[in-house]
Amino acid sequence: MADLKLTQVIKRFGDLETIHGIDLDIKDGEFVVFVGPSGCGKSTLLRMIAGLEEITDGDIHIDNECVTRVPASKRGVAMVFQSYALYPHMTVRENMGFGLKMAKVSKHEITRRVDEAAQILQLGPLLDRKPKALSGGQRQRVAIGRTIVRNPKVFLFDEPLSNLDAELRVKMRVEIAKLHGELRNTMIYVTHDQTEAMTLADKIVVLRSGNVEQVGSPLELYLNPANDFVAGFIGSPQMNFINCEVLAVTADMLRLRFPCGLETDMPAMTANVKAGDNLKLGIRPEHVLEDASGELVICVDVDVVEHLGGSTFVYADYAGDISMTLQVGGLSDINGKDKREISFNRHYCHLFNEAGKSIGLRKDALELKAAEKMLPMAG
Amino acid sequence: MSVKHLKTLGWYLFLTGIGYVFLFPLLFMLVSSLKPEQAIFADLYSIRAILPVGELSLDNYRQVFEKSNVSLYFWNSLFITVGTVIMGLFVNSLLAFTLSRMSWRGQKLVLAVVIALMIIPLEAIVVPLLLLASKLPSIGWEGGMLVLKSSWLNTLHVQMLPFVANSFFIFLFYQFFRDIPKDFDEAAELDGATPFQIYRHIIVPMSGPVFATVAILHFLLMWNQYIWPIMAVQGEDARPLMPGIQIFFGRQSSWGEIMAYASLVTLPVLAVFLMFQKKFVTSLAGAGIKG
Amino acid sequence: MEPKSVTRLQPDIQEQKPRRRYVFLMSTPALLGLFMFLVIPFFMAVGMSFTDQRLLSPNETSWVGLRNYDRLLNVSGMVQEPVRDEAGQLVLDGDGQVEYPRLRTLLRSDPAMADYKLFSSWDLGEKRYIVLAKDPHFIQSFINTLLFVLLVVPLQCGLALALALLINRQLRGIFLYRTVFFSPVVTSIVVVSIVWSFLYHKDLGLFNHYLQAMSFGLIGPIDWLGDPAWSMPSIVIMSAWQAAGVQMLIFLAGLQGISPDLYEAADLDGAGPWSKFWHITLPGLRNTVVFVVISTTIQAFGLFTQVDVMTQGGPQGSTSTVMYHAVTKGFREQDIAYGSAISVIFFLVILGIALFQKRLFDSKGDK
Ligand SMILES: Nc1ncnc2c1ncn2[C@@H]1O[C@H](COP(=O)(O)OP(=O)(O)OP(=O)(O)O)[C@@H](O)[C@H]1O
Ligand SMILES: [Mg+2]
Repeated sequence: MADLKLTQVIKRFGDLETIHGIDLDIKDGEFVVFVGPSGCGKSTLLRMIAGLEEITDGDIHIDNECVTRVPASKRGVAMVFQSYALYPHMTVRENMGFGLKMAKVSKHEITRRVDEAAQILQLGPLLDRKPKALSGGQRQRVAIGRTIVRNPKVFLFDEPLSNLDAELRVKMRVEIAKLHGELRNTMIYVTHDQTEAMTLADKIVVLRSGNVEQVGSPLELYLNPANDFVAGFIGSPQMNFINCEVLAVTADMLRLRFPCGLETDMPAMTANVKAGDNLKLGIRPEHVLEDASGELVICVDVDVVEHLGGSTFVYADYAGDISMTLQVGGLSDINGKDKREISFNRHYCHLFNEAGKSIGLRKDALELKAAEKMLPMAG
Repeated sequence: MSVKHLKTLGWYLFLTGIGYVFLFPLLFMLVSSLKPEQAIFADLYSIRAILPVGELSLDNYRQVFEKSNVSLYFWNSLFITVGTVIMGLFVNSLLAFTLSRMSWRGQKLVLAVVIALMIIPLEAIVVPLLLLASKLPSIGWEGGMLVLKSSWLNTLHVQMLPFVANSFFIFLFYQFFRDIPKDFDEAAELDGATPFQIYRHIIVPMSGPVFATVAILHFLLMWNQYIWPIMAVQGEDARPLMPGIQIFFGRQSSWGEIMAYASLVTLPVLAVFLMFQKKFVTSLAGAGIKG
Repeated sequence: MEPKSVTRLQPDIQEQKPRRRYVFLMSTPALLGLFMFLVIPFFMAVGMSFTDQRLLSPNETSWVGLRNYDRLLNVSGMVQEPVRDEAGQLVLDGDGQVEYPRLRTLLRSDPAMADYKLFSSWDLGEKRYIVLAKDPHFIQSFINTLLFVLLVVPLQCGLALALALLINRQLRGIFLYRTVFFSPVVTSIVVVSIVWSFLYHKDLGLFNHYLQAMSFGLIGPIDWLGDPAWSMPSIVIMSAWQAAGVQMLIFLAGLQGISPDLYEAADLDGAGPWSKFWHITLPGLRNTVVFVVISTTIQAFGLFTQVDVMTQGGPQGSTSTVMYHAVTKGFREQDIAYGSAISVIFFLVILGIALFQKRLFDSKGDK
C-alpha cells in the first residue's frame, strides 16, 4: 500500500524525447488508469514506474522513498503484462511462486502464499497445469495471481485485457474491479479502451504524445474535459464537433452562428474571445435529440441508422460536410435517407477555443440532473 | 492393380534402388566385420555381401582389441566429444544470451565480429594453432604425479579447449534467443531474478530445440575430428578414434579387422542418430536454412 | 515544479554496475575462446607468413618479407632449343628422340633461376616449352583443389537437389528413405574413405567388378585410386555421396517453404512438370541454392581427410590439395611459416570466392 509520486519525469530514447516531464500524484489505494492513443507513451511511463525502463530525468517516489535508481525487483511493484509472460515450462504454481523463489522465501511459505492467491482468484484446480493447457481467461488470472503472491505496494497492468475476446474482457474487467475492492492496493492500469478506463478508474490520466492532457475522475473528464482532445477521447461514441463563428461577445455570453446559419446565444467564459473567432462546439451523441424539441434545432441528412435494440445510433451529415452521430432511444422511428430536424440543449454543449481549450462553463452532475427535469427531453 | 498403384510401386522401387546405393557401403562394412576374410571376398559380388549369412563371429573385433588400443581411443574420443559439447553448450549460449537479451556498449560490434568469424574455416588456422598449442604451458599427470608441461601437445585438452567456443553455434543460439519475447525477461526481472537466473530459469528451459541442434552438430564435429588430432597428438595416450583407425588402416591389416574397427567407430554415432533421427534431421535442416 | 538546474549523472551507477558485471562474466568465456583459438591464430598465420618460423627450432626466427609468398606463387616459363652438334644437326638420344639440354644443369648455372623447379613442359615443333615454379607442388595442389571444387560442387548440389525432389512427396514411409540418404553423413569421412578404398580396389573392388560385368569385359579394370587420371574423380564421387545428405535436407526445407498455391495456380494454367520446376521450384529455392552452393564450395576447398586416408596426395601428386600441402609443409616438415603462408592464401581464396559467388547471385536476383 503506497502513495506514488512522479516529478518531472522525462524519457529519451537516444535523442528522441517521448515523455516530456510528467508530474503525477497517486494516493494510496487509488485505481489509476492511463489512457491515450497508441504511441502516446503509456507503456513507457508504466515501465519507468516498474523500473524496466531507465528514467532519463526526474524522480519517482513510492511511499515517500525515492526509487528512481532502485532496481525493478526492489521497488515493491508487480506487473501484469499484455502477453501475460507466463513461463511456458513452469506449472501455474511454479509461475506464481517464481518471484518468491528468487527472493529465497522458504518452500513452505511459498506454498502457503500461492495457495492463498489461488484461493482469491479461484485458481485452485489449475495449479499443476502448464500455461499451454489454460484458456485465455485462465492465463489472465494466473498472470494476476502471480502479482498478488508477491504482495506488492503497487500493481501495474499494461493492457491486460487486450488479448481476450469481448465477452471475457467484460468479465475480467469486473474481476479486476472486485480484486481492487478486496485488496485495496494502489493499481495503475494502462489501456487505450476508454470503456475500461471509465469503468475501472478512480482517476484517469489522459496522455497525448508524452504529455498529460488531464487528470481526474471518470465523471469529471466526461463532464468537464479540459480540451477538445480529452473531450473526443472520453465518451463513446465520440463527441460531435461543430465549428461556429463568434458574432458578438458579452460578459458571460457569446453569440454564435452555426454553419447552417442558425444564430444563438451561449453562456461561456468569454475572457479571451473576440468577435470573428472560430469556436468548436461539442455535443455528445447521447445528448442530441431526434426531434425538434430541444433548444437548438438543426437540420441534417440521415445517412445510416443502426438499431441495437436498446438504443439506436444514427449517423447523419450536417451542413454538407460535418458528420454527426446521435444515440437515441431503442424505438426510434428515424429511417435512413431521411432529412430531418434534430436538436439539443445548451447546458450539454461544450465550447472549445481555437487552441482547443475548453471555455464552456463548468458542469456539475447534480445541476445537470436538475436542469434535465425542467426541460423537455426524449429517451 | 490400377495405374496409380503401379506408379506408386514404381516410385518405391526407384527409391529403394537409390537407397541401396546409399546404404550399401555401410551395410557392407557392418556385415563384413562379422565374416572371416575368405567369406568377405566370396560374398563380395552377390547380394550376400550385405547379408549377415554364413559363418559369423566376433573374431575380427577380438583381433582389433588385441592389435590396437581401441578402448583407450574410444574413451578419449568420448571424453573429448562429450566434454567439449557440454562446455560449448554453456559457453556459447551464455554469450548469445548477453548478445540477444541484454544491452551493453559494444554489443553490436561484438555481434558483427562473431558473425564475421564464421567465415574462417578451421583449416585456415590449424597450422598457427599448432604452434600456439606447442607454446602454451599446462599441468598434467605423469606417473601419478602432477607435473608442469611446457606444451599443450599430446593432451586431451588440446583437442577440446580450442573447439569449445564456436561462432556458428553462438549465432544459432543468438537467432533462437532473439525471437523469444522480451516480456519473459522483464517479468523475471520484476520477480527479482538476476541476469544469470533469467538465463538459467527462463531462457534455457524455453530453448530446448536449439540446445538439441547445437549439441548434435557439435557432437558430430568433435567425434569426427581428424586433421587436428593427427597434428596435435603424436603419442598413444591422448589419441582419439579417427587417427587410431587411420593408423590401423595404414598398417595393412586384414579387411575384416578394418571393417570391424570401422564399425566400432561408426556404431555409437549411428545409434545416437537412429534414436534421435527426427531431431537430427530437423535440426540440421533448420541450422542450414538459418545459417 | 521548479525547473531542474543541475544535470544528473546519466547512467544510474548503482543499477548498472552489477549488470555490467554479469555481461562481463557471461560473455567472457566464449569471447576468450574465440579470441585465443581463432583470432590469435588467424593473425599469427598472417604474421608468421612473413617469417621463417619453424615448429621446433634452435634458431632465432627472423623476418623474411614476402619470401614465402614468392616461393608459393612464383611461376616462370622458358623455351628450349634442341641440342645440336657442331654441324647444326639435331642430336638424337637412344630412342631416337630429340635431345634437349638438361634442365637441372641449366637452372643450377643461373643464380636467378636456381630456386625454380619444373612444373610442366611440352614439345611443339622443334621447341620445348617449359613452365617453372618455385614450388610446383603447391601450384599442382592448387589446381587439384580447384578441379575438386569444380567437380564436386555441381555434383553434390545436383545430387542433393535430386534427392530432395525425390523424397518431397506424400508417400508412406518416405522418412525411411530420408534417413537412408542421410546415413552417410553421420558416418565419419575417415570410415567412409576406408570402406570406399576397398570398393575402389583395382582387383577386388566392387566398382571394377560391376563395370566389367556391364561392359562385358570391354572396360576396365580401372585403377581408381592408383591412376593419376582417375584418382581425383574417385574422391569427388565419394565425397559427393557422403555429404549430399546435408544439402538434401536443406533443399527439402526450402522446397517445403514454397507455397503449394503456386503449384495449384500453375496446374490451372496447364503447366507441365518441367515448366513448374523451372518457373516455380527453382526461383523458390533461390536463397537456399545460394547458401548451399557457397557453403559447399567453402567446405570443398578444405579437402584433406579423404586424401590423407586414401591416397596421401598421390599418385604423382594428382590428389594433393592446398590443405594437404599446408599440413605437409607446416606440420610434417615443421615449416610453420610456409604452412601459414599457404593458410593465408587459402583463406583469401575462400573469401574471394564466397564474395564473388554472393555478388553473382545477388546481381542475378536483381534482374
Ligand atoms: N525502446 C524504444 N526505443 C525508441 N523508441 C521507443 C522505444 N520504446 C518506445 N518508443 C517510442 O516511445 C513512444 C511511446 O511508446 P509506448 O510503447 O509507451 O506507447 P503506448 O502508449 O504504450 O502505445 P500502445 O497503445 O500502442 O501500446 C512511441 O512513439 C514509441 O515509438
Ligand atoms: Mg503499450
